[in-house]
Amino acid sequence: MFDGKIWSREETLDRDEFERIQLERLKETVERVYQCVPHYKKKLTEAGIEPGDIRSLSDLSRIPFTVKDDFRENYPFGLFSVPQKEVVRLHASSGTTGKPTVVGYTKKDMDTWSELIARLVTMAGVTDEDTAQISFGYGLFTGAFGLHQGLERVGASVIPMSSGNTEKQIMIMKDFGTTALISTPSYALHMAEVAGEMGIDPKKELKLKWGLFGGEGSTEGMRKEINERWGLFATENYGMSELIGPGVSGECLAMKGMHISEDHFLPEIIDPNTGEVLGEGEVGELVITTITKEALPILRYRTKDITSLHYERCECGRTTVRMSKIQGRSDDMLILGGVNVFPSQIEDVLLRINGIGPHYQIKVFKKGYLDKIEVDVELVDADLLDSFALLENLNGKIRHQLRTVLGIEAKVNLVEPRSLARFEGKAKRVIDMREGK
Amino acid sequence: MLIKQLSIFIPNKKGSLSQLTDILTAHNIDIRAIAVFDTAEFGILRIVVDDPDRAVEILNKEGVVAKVSKVIAVEPEDKPGSLNQIFDILKNVDINIEYIYSFIMRKKEMPYIVLKVDQQEKAVEELTANGINVINKEEIYAK
Repeated sequence: MFDGKIWSREETLDRDEFERIQLERLKETVERVYQCVPHYKKKLTEAGIEPGDIRSLSDLSRIPFTVKDDFRENYPFGLFSVPQKEVVRLHASSGTTGKPTVVGYTKKDMDTWSELIARLVTMAGVTDEDTAQISFGYGLFTGAFGLHQGLERVGASVIPMSSGNTEKQIMIMKDFGTTALISTPSYALHMAEVAGEMGIDPKKELKLKWGLFGGEGSTEGMRKEINERWGLFATENYGMSELIGPGVSGECLAMKGMHISEDHFLPEIIDPNTGEVLGEGEVGELVITTITKEALPILRYRTKDITSLHYERCECGRTTVRMSKIQGRSDDMLILGGVNVFPSQIEDVLLRINGIGPHYQIKVFKKGYLDKIEVDVELVDADLLDSFALLENLNGKIRHQLRTVLGIEAKVNLVEPRSLARFEGKAKRVIDMREGK
Repeated sequence: MLIKQLSIFIPNKKGSLSQLTDILTAHNIDIRAIAVFDTAEFGILRIVVDDPDRAVEILNKEGVVAKVSKVIAVEPEDKPGSLNQIFDILKNVDINIEYIYSFIMRKKEMPYIVLKVDQQEKAVEELTANGINVINKEEIYAK
């Protein structure tokens, strides 16, 4: 079954070889951020650590965590450890208070990223014989560009399709003979449905063999459905822009978890409440330290994703540690159509708009296979009652702000004052009605 | 010559109208004209009552989004073409009608018509000059 290639020798190193490389690179990374990033110098100093104190991998647990807020506080380039002229690419994801989380790459980082993606797509079955259609949105988000360069590196023919315009996606797929689809799992299901409406049977009329899905979690039920509808082999991959983008880990064809490229990322599992490091196979929050990045090295980043780590050699021949399917989040982040959004960000957008009250409710559900978001807000400004146009303008303004600041398409419902639930203590403002929630 | 109406935000769901009329009834407010303009999600209820300032105060206290605004009330003659005449007068001076509704109770024969236009004072002048009976507020609020 596993006649697929392994892209790089580094995916099959012995454990002690991994550990030797990791320690060496961890030391370099700590030294680098201590010297070049004031934020880290301060944090390490406060924790009583100097770069020379890192003598073994177990010393990693003494280093303070990095969290998403650190990106916000150092917006836009405060965490970069190289001068701007060495940065050759910038990406960003949605962040709090309207400011995105900015990430940068040096030439070497770009090369590392391509290498990581080449490994990932190779383990998912893609070769230079394939034609790969990238149906992630191109732009500031890391997903599309990340996969793009790695697919080119393995020699696949890349179609930079971007997301949306689904009927055209199907047409291109058919006419260009696409064999690999790269998208979010929910968009893949939506596309299958649209293909059906167009009278196209993907199994008979299209040539898809591989599906590489990421950007959001999925259930085994969704995978089964994708496989059946498209007649392809679906694998899942994982990453986040703070760490590099896609390419942190991915499933091989054995589907026994996602292989983390350990020569570039040092993973740990912690108890999200105490911060204590947990052992192999124990379920907790994934924490990752980047050990080869130049522009934006990150120490012990709390991903908030709940998973476990497994070190035994995989059937595919790779020796890299595998993380199990993400079981959930240790915070309240929502993933809406592949876009990460915190309820607090939605709240922040709403609070800046006049005419509505501070209370709101977010409803998330599936319409077909797509995530739909509805936001209820209370109208408080009676002056808007003079005409529908004024109310429609308010509604349009809220939708526009949610779209431009957070990148989400939401339906906005104006409701009467005092009609939304009030909470004492922790508010439950999100009703997530999607499967598996 | 303008009269006061109340504009009230109502969610598009069962019982929201009676909830409002319950409040008005409890405070002995008399409704003279009523109209609902709605979209799929919400509506704007417009009413003319005998004591608009007290009514809006009561409603606001109950947490209802309501405001007082000015509209024109006219009394068309009881013959074909009388509404047409009113609309023509306004059209000829380039005044746009935003909405229109009529009274639900009256002692006389013809209902008053409520008009909201973009240039209210000018509209009153034009209508009066053309012989249309524009109703003053005493006539509206008196029982």
